[in-house]
Amino acid sequence: MSDSQTPTKKQVKPSIIEATAISQSFGEEGVRFMALQEVSFKILHNSFTVVYGPSGSGKSTLLNILTGLQPPTTGKIVYNNQNIYELDSDSLAQFRASRIGIIYQQNYWVKSLSVVENVALPLFFRGYNRTLAKELALIALERVRMQDYATKNPTLLSGGEQQRVAVARALVNDPMIIIADEPTGSLDSKNGDLIMDLLHKAQTDSMRTIILVTHNMEYLPLADHLLHIQDGKVQELQAASIRATVDGLMTDMKQRIDRLSVMNQRKDHA
Amino acid sequence: MKLRFPRLPAKLQRNKDSIATVTVLYLAWKNLTTKKLRTFLTIFGIIIGIGAIFFLLSFGLGLQHIVTEEVIGNQSIKSIDITSPNSKILALNQETFDRIGKLPHVDRMGRSFSYPGSLSYSGSETDTIVYGVDPVYQELSNLTVIKGRQIASEDSRVAYLNTALLQSLGIENVESVLDQQIRLLVPLAAGAEPIAEDLTVIGIIDTGSGGEIFVPNHLFESAGQTSYKQFKLIADDTNNITDLRKQIESLGFLTTSPVDTIDQINQIFRFFNIILVSFGAIGMIVAVLGMFNTLTISLLERTREIGLMIALGGRQFDMKRLFIIEAVMLSVAGAVIGMILATINGEVINIIMNRLARSRGVLETFDLFATPYWLVMGILAFMVMVGLAVAFFPARRAQRINPIDALRRE
Repeated sequence: MSDSQTPTKKQVKPSIIEATAISQSFGEEGVRFMALQEVSFKILHNSFTVVYGPSGSGKSTLLNILTGLQPPTTGKIVYNNQNIYELDSDSLAQFRASRIGIIYQQNYWVKSLSVVENVALPLFFRGYNRTLAKELALIALERVRMQDYATKNPTLLSGGEQQRVAVARALVNDPMIIIADEPTGSLDSKNGDLIMDLLHKAQTDSMRTIILVTHNMEYLPLADHLLHIQDGKVQELQAASIRATVDGLMTDMKQRIDRLSVMNQRKDHA
Repeated sequence: MKLRFPRLPAKLQRNKDSIATVTVLYLAWKNLTTKKLRTFLTIFGIIIGIGAIFFLLSFGLGLQHIVTEEVIGNQSIKSIDITSPNSKILALNQETFDRIGKLPHVDRMGRSFSYPGSLSYSGSETDTIVYGVDPVYQELSNLTVIKGRQIASEDSRVAYLNTALLQSLGIENVESVLDQQIRLLVPLAAGAEPIAEDLTVIGIIDTGSGGEIFVPNHLFESAGQTSYKQFKLIADDTNNITDLRKQIESLGFLTTSPVDTIDQINQIFRFFNIILVSFGAIGMIVAVLGMFNTLTISLLERTREIGLMIALGGRQFDMKRLFIIEAVMLSVAGAVIGMILATINGEVINIIMNRLARSRGVLETFDLFATPYWLVMGILAFMVMVGLAVAFFPARRAQRINPIDALRRE
């Protein structure tokens, strides 16, 4: 290590992802639909970023671009000085297997494999032999307290249990970034909170960078960085301004609830 | 029933940047063993298809073997028979005998006369073919003596004859003629004195359907005959047969060899085997369609799994590999089990047929089914090819699955 690099390393939170002028359009000429328009942002190491926006706002598109599954129409996305869409498809697969942990809203499993083998999948794809991969997967399962279910079939577990296993799978390859797409969307609040707690711990205890995609404002307070997406445009907010945004959104919502209850009362009278 | 993936040596499990082949094998194995019924039915179809082909082919080859054995008998395939197309112009005499005998690769050579003649014994008389043979010719002809012995070089006024001749003389007890005197009459070409000799019977042979009698060849030589009917030689090696025959034929003689007969038999059986295989092929086509069906359904069912695996870092190439390996596993498993069952089936039928034959007085045992090494290997290689071919389209589709679309599906 040369001395000149040391200060950079000691910098509290270096940026880990830099997105520059990302646009994504779908469809043919004439019926072109812009899912993302000139989106730029930075995600810092060990941050907890929430990508917040209503459905259809472009969240999923952004998620697919971030996970290396969809090259943007224009713009570039750089992970640690590497523009990932300059990699060939095999190296990109390797990048996904080693650098990113993904948690989906729905639980996807390879049904012929047990819980521990499903958790070990990213390690299989990195070329680990099965014994070692399964040992590491078991450790990941212990972190979400699901080690007792290791040999079961994942489809037999409850929704909350499955989501915990999914968290283990996202942690198993020791990724630098964990991307969670509505991880609590199909869970009750108790299980949902458990998952959020695991993600929060991954940030605070294991120094991971978390990106949470959600349309649910309940978890906004966890964020220290907010990407508010609306109609393909991103508004980037740092920790200090998040509180204000949340309050603003809460006010909006209260007004909507009031409106709806007024409508309901009218219906009762009629 | 719990099927376990076999333990493989650690050498095969070494680390690389991407998924190890053995892990892909494991994933394929897990998928096939999870869908037990479907896998079983698919393999079962292949078992029937391959079993039928293997059974019929080994039957065809077994039959071919038996027929060849029966026709060629214990004749050496190294032997060549030489005759003259026209004995008046090109005689098989002592001079040509020496000339051919000096050709390279000739190991040993014998000669024979043959004339039509007649035989009388205790008042009855019958026509026969009379062979005058020398000891080498006798040896190369592989005539099996069932009673008594063959002619030795010091014998002069002796003969041995076949059972067909005894039958035409009306003799049932073959042993009764041994050491008895018979009278042989052989009319020679115009102008020559016919041979009329009293000979002692020294042996009985079993070959031939017409009457044949064998006498020492000097019986004819001393009667002034110089033109032999046939030479028989044995080459030092099978590989030299063709060359040697060409040389002899260039001298103007005709040659025949058991190799000719074998070629003819093989030609007939090639055709017969093709017919047998095409019957089996009907079953095989159905089995292959079943396999294609299984893979296609498996692909549709697993679109999301494949999308997931790609999202988790699997390469598209690995997804293709997964399907190819599954297809080859199915086809090879079907081929191996099919061949084993066909072999067992063939063995059982062979035992039954041998019993049946023995109960009807056949003494020799025979193998109705032949399962040569090349057939087993050929079928295995063929089934690997079939697996690859059947997997082609599903594997290509698996490779092209877009993970985003796949994971969006409900």
